[in-house]
Amino acid sequence: MSDCINRRDFLKMGSAAVVGGATVMTGCATAAGGSAAETAASIGFKAALPNAKGPRLVVVGGGTSGLTIAKYAKKEYPKFDVVLVEKRDMYSSCFSSNLWYAGLINLEFLADHSFLDAARNNHYTFFNATVTGVDRAGRKLVTSEGEIDYDFLVLAPGIAYDYARIGVSDVEAITALRTAYPPGFISPTEHVTIRRKVQEFEGGVFVQCVPSGNYRCLPAPYERACMIASHFKKNKIKGKVLVLDANPDITIKKDGFHAAFNELYKGIIEYKPSIEITGVDVEKKVLKTAFESYHFDDAAIYPGVRASTLIEHLGLMDPKSPQKEARIDVLKYNVIGDERVYVAGDSRPHPYSKSANTANTEGKYVAKVLAARAQGKDISWYSPRTVCYSMVNASPMEGISVDAGYILNAAGNAIAGFSPDTKLFEKRDGAKGKSTLEWARGLYRDMFEG
Amino acid sequence: MDRRRFVKLCTGSAAWLAAGMRDARAGSYTDFPKVRLTDAQRAPLKASALAKDEAYVFHFPFRSLPCFLINLGKPASGARELTSESGSYTWPGGVGKDKSLVAYVAVCTHQLAYAGKDGSQIRYAAGNSALAGRPGTIVCCAHASVFDPATGAQREHGDAPDPLLPVRLEYDPADDAVYASGLAGTQLVERFFKTYKRELISEYGPGVYKEPVGDTTVAVPLSKYATSVADC
Repeated sequence: MSDCINRRDFLKMGSAAVVGGATVMTGCATAAGGSAAETAASIGFKAALPNAKGPRLVVVGGGTSGLTIAKYAKKEYPKFDVVLVEKRDMYSSCFSSNLWYAGLINLEFLADHSFLDAARNNHYTFFNATVTGVDRAGRKLVTSEGEIDYDFLVLAPGIAYDYARIGVSDVEAITALRTAYPPGFISPTEHVTIRRKVQEFEGGVFVQCVPSGNYRCLPAPYERACMIASHFKKNKIKGKVLVLDANPDITIKKDGFHAAFNELYKGIIEYKPSIEITGVDVEKKVLKTAFESYHFDDAAIYPGVRASTLIEHLGLMDPKSPQKEARIDVLKYNVIGDERVYVAGDSRPHPYSKSANTANTEGKYVAKVLAARAQGKDISWYSPRTVCYSMVNASPMEGISVDAGYILNAAGNAIAGFSPDTKLFEKRDGAKGKSTLEWARGLYRDMFEG
Repeated sequence: MDRRRFVKLCTGSAAWLAAGMRDARAGSYTDFPKVRLTDAQRAPLKASALAKDEAYVFHFPFRSLPCFLINLGKPASGARELTSESGSYTWPGGVGKDKSLVAYVAVCTHQLAYAGKDGSQIRYAAGNSALAGRPGTIVCCAHASVFDPATGAQREHGDAPDPLLPVRLEYDPADDAVYASGLAGTQLVERFFKTYKRELISEYGPGVYKEPVGDTTVAVPLSKYATSVADC
């Protein structure tokens, strides 16, 4: 690591140097990220985009955060010429994907939402490309499809998995594990694999891991356990869902989930708290801890979460952040010392829930910050909202929920905890089951419609 | 319906929406032809017969646009100056003998959840609501929004940017009749039509969903209108 720190420090001193017309990457070069960026940068061609008709705001990432910011920044400040850069050419949401495993929704529910329609309805440009670098001094974003000049840049690249947290560190082992037992919290292809696993399961032990730390979507591993167990129960599959939780107890809506585990899935879901996984044998299908081993027939192994590697590669990571999140102003989201570059969504360092509703409501706030900054103004901080439903039963459909906000500390410079109006709704019922679906539909409408 | 009448109606509704956009700039209500509310048997609705425990759903001014008629059981607040995406407007307060009747478009201004036949996330909670923590609110369970129907449906909790869109009601004491005659802007209606175009075409037929509702419109309790009502 010493090499990459030196390199980053050097580049910081030079404030993102431009050498011979080519953009030089800031940040730590892992094999793929660094070299790809430099290759792309050395080509030095402009992206095929219409000329900016106003201050150009480039938003990287077409997830909940990026889609919300692209739409609402344009709404807040119509002079913005907004470009959304996304590496996928087809949208499919991570949120609500658990419901697919129990057959409550189909793939259309998750994926029948077009980036092109979102851009057309909300007057911005969709640009299908992968980001490889940034030249902050020259205000250029480098992508696989050319360079884009920006006046303001928002990075909302989401999360990456941190396999070192479960004792899997070399690239070969990570690749094998991620291919065979994907966590299902980043890409649609993982969801497709998990659904196939659930549908093909004929009996035995299906392990669902729950990581420690601020992982993406706190209730989701427990919800998924319920959805898989519901499928087993309905189809009379002699299977057990073994939930191996790194935490001492269920991390959110614990009464609601415990009630579901005990009352709906007795003998089907086995819940084990405080299980710190120290290694995985992919071939033998064994999860190891310091004290014992757990054999599984199939699994969704959720290791741990960190900010997208892009944040590290671009030199924007806070070296003190345990989850390698961005070093930004907590209230305004700009990179410290650079009011042109912002980081939002699940790469943020805030202790917010890494969930769609949080990213959506936060995105509207970040859009207001950008609109204000573009006009030489500023706005006061307000909290995002974490409204989050979890389906705990598939037949019949029943859900539980939480409605949370956040407050600042006395100094007003850090998030201190949940707001006093935070409420949990942990008695499962059919009404909340229906609300779980409508919650997701609302988010799709908000991101893709005008 | 013959083709000529169909085309005329569709043209008419487009013109109304256009008129609404002009009105929005002037910051006023948009007028629509006065429509009398009826009960489920299509008999003229009597204001004094309205229950206080839940909202009634009626469609106005278009066949697919759901609205809530609410008997608050006590006078609503006085007039309020409010603002929505269509501009500012003066919400006039309640109508009826004791000024307790109010009406709003039953589409949440947050992410457009609405009162549909196959279920409603939005409802008037006359009694206590776990989400609102008090009686007499309109709650939308999709994303935990709370509105106060007694003060122009202003947001009380959640992320809705605007109050619910008010429907102008008129009351005739001579026969205890209730009429709807306007909306405080039409931008939400345009977004509703655009967002749900596929679903509305499927439910009502191409173009039919934005036809004017006619001279009368049926008002039925939400619990009878929707197959399920969210409870938060």
